[in-house]
Amino acid sequence: MADLIQLLTNGLALGSVYALAAIGFVIVYSATGVVNFAAGQFVMLGTFAGVAMLLNAGLPMPVGYAAALIAMALFGALFYLVVYLPLRTSPVVTVIIGTVAIGITLQNAALLTFGSWPFRLPSPFEGMMIEVAGAVVSVHALAVVATTAVMIFLLWLLLHRTAIGIAMRAVAQDVKAARLMGLRVQWLLAFSWILGAVLAGVAGLMLGPMWFADVNMGDPIALKAFAATVIGGFGSLPGAIAGGLFVGLAEVLGASYISSAYKDLIAFGIMILFLLVRPQGIFGEPIQDRG
Amino acid sequence: MLRIEDLTVAYGDIVALHGVSLEVAAGETVALIGANGAGKTTLLQTVSGLNKLRSGRMEFGGASLAPLSSADRVRAGIAQAPEGRRIFPGLSVEENLVVATSSWRRLGKSYADDLAQVFDLFPRLKERRRQLGWSLSGGEQQMLAIGRALMSRPKLLLLDEPSLGLAPRLAEEVYDRVGRIRETGLTILVVEQNTVLALAVANRGYVLETGRVVLAGSADELRRSERVREAYLGR
Ligand SMILES: Nc1ncnc2c1ncn2[C@@H]1O[C@H](COP(=O)(O)OP(=O)(O)OP(=O)(O)O)[C@@H](O)[C@H]1O
Ligand SMILES: [Mg+2]
Repeated sequence: MADLIQLLTNGLALGSVYALAAIGFVIVYSATGVVNFAAGQFVMLGTFAGVAMLLNAGLPMPVGYAAALIAMALFGALFYLVVYLPLRTSPVVTVIIGTVAIGITLQNAALLTFGSWPFRLPSPFEGMMIEVAGAVVSVHALAVVATTAVMIFLLWLLLHRTAIGIAMRAVAQDVKAARLMGLRVQWLLAFSWILGAVLAGVAGLMLGPMWFADVNMGDPIALKAFAATVIGGFGSLPGAIAGGLFVGLAEVLGASYISSAYKDLIAFGIMILFLLVRPQGIFGEPIQDRG
Repeated sequence: MLRIEDLTVAYGDIVALHGVSLEVAAGETVALIGANGAGKTTLLQTVSGLNKLRSGRMEFGGASLAPLSSADRVRAGIAQAPEGRRIFPGLSVEENLVVATSSWRRLGKSYADDLAQVFDLFPRLKERRRQLGWSLSGGEQQMLAIGRALMSRPKLLLLDEPSLGLAPRLAEEVYDRVGRIRETGLTILVVEQNTVLALAVANRGYVLETGRVVLAGSADELRRSERVREAYLGR
């Protein structure tokens, strides 16, 4: 029982990270139609922004986190300007291939900058443990779950209670109508990229202390986030949350009860099952055309 | 208020408008009638800045529209209820309306008067203000599309086939509201295939055939013309 509680906590924490990565991916996808294959590298970059600010620059915790997230926001804006904007009139496939190329570039740039030796990104709760119902669980894992819950709540407020959020949803639903209503579509799309990058940054900062900060960490995250969106329902935000948690739990429980060699296979097996049986995912919004 | 001169618009090799000229004066309601594929939607979309023009000039309130983006044109006072309504399906009725006010009014939440006016004109929207866009009936969606266009406090209202796909009684109801909007003094350019309804509400009209204006005149003249009677009124 104590083991199970520990595993569930770790699974939910890992799942929270996947969920945030998947949410960032879905926000960009639903606003711009671009399947961002660099999404995993965005998370890697978030972790290394933390490495740069906390380890290299030696900034204190709160300042270092803020600096890392500001760097991620700037990166999102840069990505919009350098990758999305020049390609926006080309077929969406071209933009998608662009994201693949940029993903590889980012990975190599990180390798050149930080080297292949993994870093250990500290947590504000380094080494802290707490007893929950007889089980000893890491405070960092609990903080990750709590932070994710707060982020999701803030995101919901943004999308449903603020002028800019409602406008973002309008652009995601019908770009042409949004233009006719006088919305500044390009600014809203830029904001979607920035938001996607910041969410990936939060995911990366929380993941750093759980894994080692390794320049190759982007690919497995991209695959998990992708599996999460397929399982939850492609393009659905609640689906990204449910799918992310599901993949995280499947990975941790699978590694413990079945075999750590097969832990990835379980999530992907379930993803493939979904693609075959229920391609619209848990939150089955039947696949709809973007206007 | 709106002056279009010698407008040519093409989609690749398909020329949709061949040198169209038309004018809408302040306070007027003008109908643009024509069959399927005549180029009516193309014209309205070009005025709103969604299509590039190959040649020609468009002026609004004496100034060229050329340098204005579609968002700027809305700010300048041109609003459109597009063909097929294009309601935001996942936004509530109220959100659909609010999203179309100018951004500073949205931020300051000072759109209450505009909202009240739209609800006054379309009481059914008020009852359904929390319902999502997709769940409305066709007639309600059309009313929402028109109400949404009014939220930007336009000087010129462009309506693209507001009767499309509606039962005759509902189409008449929509046109009754268009008449009431006209009474407020707003300038309207309405595109229609339903010639009877459009000419009933309009002062003047143009007939568009395969991208050319073939006839222009007062609503009465058009109703009496042989060409319109044969081609569009079915007698
Ligand atoms: N996006 C497009 N790409 C290529 N051709 C187009 C496009 N939109 C319209 N056309 C063509 O331009 C011409 C005019 O179309 P338009 O939609 O303006 O006509 P319409 O008068 O609005 O017709 P309807 O009454 O059916 O709405 C048609 O021949 C149409 O096939
Ligand atoms: Mg049309």
